[in-house]
Amino acid sequence: MPALQIIISAVLAVLVLAGISMMSRVRTAVAGNLLSAFAMLCGIVATLLFAGVVSVWTIYVSILIGALVGSLLAVRVQMIQMPQTVALFNGLGGGASALVGLLSVQGDAPFVRFTALLAVAVGMVTLVGSLVAAGKLHRVLPQKPVVWKGHALCTLLFLVLTLVFVVVGTFAQGAGLTVCIAGAFVAASLFGLWFSLRVGGADMPITISLLNSLSGVAGSIAGMAVGDVFLVAVGGIVGASGLLLTQIMCRAMNRKLMSILMGGTMTPSVPTPVIDENENEELVQRIMDLEKKIKELEAMVADLEARVKVLDGQLNAAAPAPVEEAPTAASVLSKAKDVIIVPGYGMALAQAQHQVRQLADKLESRGARVRFAIHPVAGRMPGHMNVLLAEADVDYEKLYEMEAINDDFKNADAVVVIGANDVLNPAARNAVGTPIYGMPVLNVDQAPEVIVCNYDLKPGYAGVENPIYSRGKGVYLELGDAKETLMRLMAGIA
Amino acid sequence: MIHPLILIAVFLVSAVLGYFIIRTVPSLLHTPLMSGMNALSGVTIVGAIVATGVAFLAGDGLLAQLAGGLAIVLAAVNVFGGFGVTHRMLKMFDKKKK
Repeated sequence: MPALQIIISAVLAVLVLAGISMMSRVRTAVAGNLLSAFAMLCGIVATLLFAGVVSVWTIYVSILIGALVGSLLAVRVQMIQMPQTVALFNGLGGGASALVGLLSVQGDAPFVRFTALLAVAVGMVTLVGSLVAAGKLHRVLPQKPVVWKGHALCTLLFLVLTLVFVVVGTFAQGAGLTVCIAGAFVAASLFGLWFSLRVGGADMPITISLLNSLSGVAGSIAGMAVGDVFLVAVGGIVGASGLLLTQIMCRAMNRKLMSILMGGTMTPSVPTPVIDENENEELVQRIMDLEKKIKELEAMVADLEARVKVLDGQLNAAAPAPVEEAPTAASVLSKAKDVIIVPGYGMALAQAQHQVRQLADKLESRGARVRFAIHPVAGRMPGHMNVLLAEADVDYEKLYEMEAINDDFKNADAVVVIGANDVLNPAARNAVGTPIYGMPVLNVDQAPEVIVCNYDLKPGYAGVENPIYSRGKGVYLELGDAKETLMRLMAGIA
Repeated sequence: MIHPLILIAVFLVSAVLGYFIIRTVPSLLHTPLMSGMNALSGVTIVGAIVATGVAFLAGDGLLAQLAGGLAIVLAAVNVFGGFGVTHRMLKMFDKKKK
């Protein structure tokens, strides 16, 4: 019987993999998802048969309840709420794995006890971590990192405690085992709470990917505990995928995974210039020189202004001065033939993706070429911007990854930034010691004309000022709610 | 009972295979990929079914059965919600293409 079970499980796992590989192209992705779902359904039926539990009616009732709730959520949820929805579902999966671990922990074999305890631990970390992440994304919890006293130490302590309980529990019996189960349960939950609370908004893509990976690993371990090949295989696939996404996100932000989990997260440290005494005196001297010069220049300016006034008077008397209209954001866009739009989390917050598309349509109808530059960590989950723009019917072929479009910024006539900041902050290239240092950014600063539709000029999540804002020439700041700003811009494009 | 070594081997092989296949997915589709993976992580429903069924048939206490039932409910929400949401997203990407 096990041989047949292994073969069927392997076939189903291959089906799942085929479904995933179909998800690498938009054209086949829908079918791929359905294939994965179908494989899952087969897996459930096969399990019912192999485990000999077809007659247990409570199983069907439970599935029905879960299916109803899940389907309802799937239909109701808005695209804007996708990150927290994924996080929530993810947590539920982790919680289920933890429960499976709890149920199968009383086995005789040490392997079963070990995997069951580990499933409890990883499952609880996933559940608690995901719930906190979902809470942060849903704005019921603070977005900023929460740091408690001795945070890094406590996090480490809970992790070690969890491992100790799991290992000791493997060789324990009776009451000792019960204590270890409870210990692993509590310590793992606390670890999940501590590590997820200290993660801030912009690190969310990394955290969600990691939790996704953990939920797969938890499932896989639970599968080992109950001896189910299909569960082990699919859990392994999910674990690997989450890890891969985590890697991609970390590379895109030039962050180390450990530093996000264990601390040192996003503390904007301004490098203090080191000045020795000699240099100091020299500097004071130079500053005094400069101040003298400034005074001289001020005097000259005042003189010039007086002369200009006189000349102005003469001119006004002669003829009305021809008014050279200063370029505005709208006038720049009216003339632009090659426009790149850079969306960020702010676009998601303002729900401005539909207006963004209208702007793109309007520009295109005037013969301009419009492309979208998507930074890998723009938004709060991997691929967040792509989903929102797809919701607004933007053709996915106009969405470009950073590497594909970064060399084109200098040749673009205009760049429109919508609610993005850190991902285009040129300070990332040279501001040593800041959280974003070394993070690859979009070369928006190379564009001749930049229109910034951000809510305000506050530094982004990383807390580093963006020098583009103060560039002056060729930068148009259109502050406020992106929806309204975009409407104004569109109205202004003649 | 299947030998633990087989289970561990299955885990390793599927993780490696998954890693290389998933690398082909472009970042354009990373959100649906993730939510699809998320739905797949609800596969733990299979474990929940086994555990619940065994508890039921062995006449274990009500607590064990309730815990098992809860596990199935949670995992089912994960599976149905996950696949449903993924389907919705993917259809959005595809609708422009004729």
